[in-house]
Amino acid sequence: MTSIELADVRITLQVAGLATLFCILVGIPLAWTLARYRFRGRGLLEALVTLPLVLPPTVVGYYLLRGLGRSSPVGRFLEDDVGARLVFTWEGAAIGAAVLSAPLLIRTAQAAFEQVDPEVERVAATLGHSRLGIFFTVTLPLAIRGVGAAIALAFARAAGEFGATIMVAGNIPGKTRTLSVAVYDAVQAGDLQRANATALVLIAISLLSLLAFSQATGLLGRR
Amino acid sequence: MIPVRANMTDRQLYGEGSGLAIHVRRRLPGFSLDVAFMANRQRVVLFGPSGAGKSLTLQAVAGIARLDGGRIVVAGETLYDSEGGINVPPQARRVGYVPQRYALFSHLTVEQNIGYGLHRLQATERQARVREMVSLMGLGGLERRRTSELSGGQQQRVALARALAFSPRILLLDEPFSALDVPLRGELRNELLNLEEKTGIAMMIVTHDLADAFLLGQRIVVIDNGRVLQEGSQEEVFYRPATRKVAELVGIRNIFPATVIAVEGESAYLEWNQVRLEAKNSSQGLQVGQRVDVCIRPTQIMIRRPEDAAFRGRMNVLDGAIVDEVINAETYRLFVRVTHSTNRSDLEIELPGNTYFRLGLDRNKAIEMSIRPDLLHVIPAAAPSP
Repeated sequence: MTSIELADVRITLQVAGLATLFCILVGIPLAWTLARYRFRGRGLLEALVTLPLVLPPTVVGYYLLRGLGRSSPVGRFLEDDVGARLVFTWEGAAIGAAVLSAPLLIRTAQAAFEQVDPEVERVAATLGHSRLGIFFTVTLPLAIRGVGAAIALAFARAAGEFGATIMVAGNIPGKTRTLSVAVYDAVQAGDLQRANATALVLIAISLLSLLAFSQATGLLGRR
Repeated sequence: MIPVRANMTDRQLYGEGSGLAIHVRRRLPGFSLDVAFMANRQRVVLFGPSGAGKSLTLQAVAGIARLDGGRIVVAGETLYDSEGGINVPPQARRVGYVPQRYALFSHLTVEQNIGYGLHRLQATERQARVREMVSLMGLGGLERRRTSELSGGQQQRVALARALAFSPRILLLDEPFSALDVPLRGELRNELLNLEEKTGIAMMIVTHDLADAFLLGQRIVVIDNGRVLQEGSQEEVFYRPATRKVAELVGIRNIFPATVIAVEGESAYLEWNQVRLEAKNSSQGLQVGQRVDVCIRPTQIMIRRPEDAAFRGRMNVLDGAIVDEVINAETYRLFVRVTHSTNRSDLEIELPGNTYFRLGLDRNKAIEMSIRPDLLHVIPAAAPSP
């Protein structure tokens, strides 16, 4: 493998890693809220959560590009006041990947939380633990298998993202070119050997991440 | 919260005045709960059929069920008062709640389950307390096991140990024995009573089982369809039900309509199927001509042998014939038609197998029955609903 390809691997892992982190921070609380509470507007929230699954990734990427770039007040604020330029960076690509992976994480984690008997959480409350305490000491450990699967799915999805990431971050070798984009590049250039090699690496990453997470949560979640 | 010290006896923790005053209101689709009762330093049993609202009431006391209004006072302390804007969260109520299926933490060991409510203690104190509870509930040797590896009885003990570990002011048990087989049930019932004797803890137990209610209840609250039908001692609820519905719920299988023909002091005289009956100690407020329901348990009707001569005291005597029999493992249930009756059968008598044979009984046999006047219980008949 040439050094360009190694950079692609590094960038892919960075994008997938950061995207998964975003998904966890936003998605796990959302998943738990949807699993446990009935409230007005719940249907709307569930629809919004599912939306990225059906939206075209390039469209998501396009709107992120417009929203995070200099042409929008948010983008100007981020660049000038926070000093963070997100477009054409791998961090921006991570945001794009996160939006598209979030529904997978949220729905899978929500199902996992719904499997936990609410009675167990109620008893935990009578035993003096706060709601947050109950989440970390009871709900999460009991749902860890499903939550681990949710994280693995999100990671694998983010690693393979193409449309949104190329929109937001472009295709800059060594800076924002992920493995998916590299496959596209190689095919465009007619270099099928490089395309094959890159595709295999990407598949390997997806499979390994799924395997690693399910193994890990299998060990943690053993009853 | 009273800090738990390992050398404090549990009786010292519970103190005086386990005054209990409960009023809970909640409206759900198709069901409305409005239950109110009081108790004082007694083992309280909430008794009634499934779906009556007993579990909901228990959960409300634990602070884990939403209410529309009411007031909950446990051991003299107000945990909930909709008028006064008080709603203590379950974390601060100090109640030991044990749900029907125990809800043990399957990802934790027995020790960790028991210690779950003791997280505010120092590690050494916590360990000491857990050891105490393990010994109290007879769980020695099982500390490191996962709860899914335990038998039903052991799981129940762990659930109790977990609820008692932080010295709650009251133990709330939802159908504690429904998941257990009959011999185990009896064993654990006794253990529960011993526990109460040893620790002095107040208890509120929900059950639909008649035997559990009778054996455990010092104060029994009969709940049906979201309302309290009667509250009182075992004696009152089981032998002097206030309404026909309560009589049915406590297993009185003989309830028949009669008319009051005379009232003399403590006794009321009734007419039924051309027979004159005397009911003693149920005569308050009865008027001549009033329609009433008369109750007598199947085990309280005696069959006279033909050779039996005079009786001691006045007895109600009826003639009849056995029209049907049902044989249970140890007892006979006889269905009897009283002479002059137009029904297929009027009364049910239950007696032990050997008595049946000793009396030389058989289907279609004519018999003479006697009922003590003080065992006949009279309930004013409810006005027919419009």
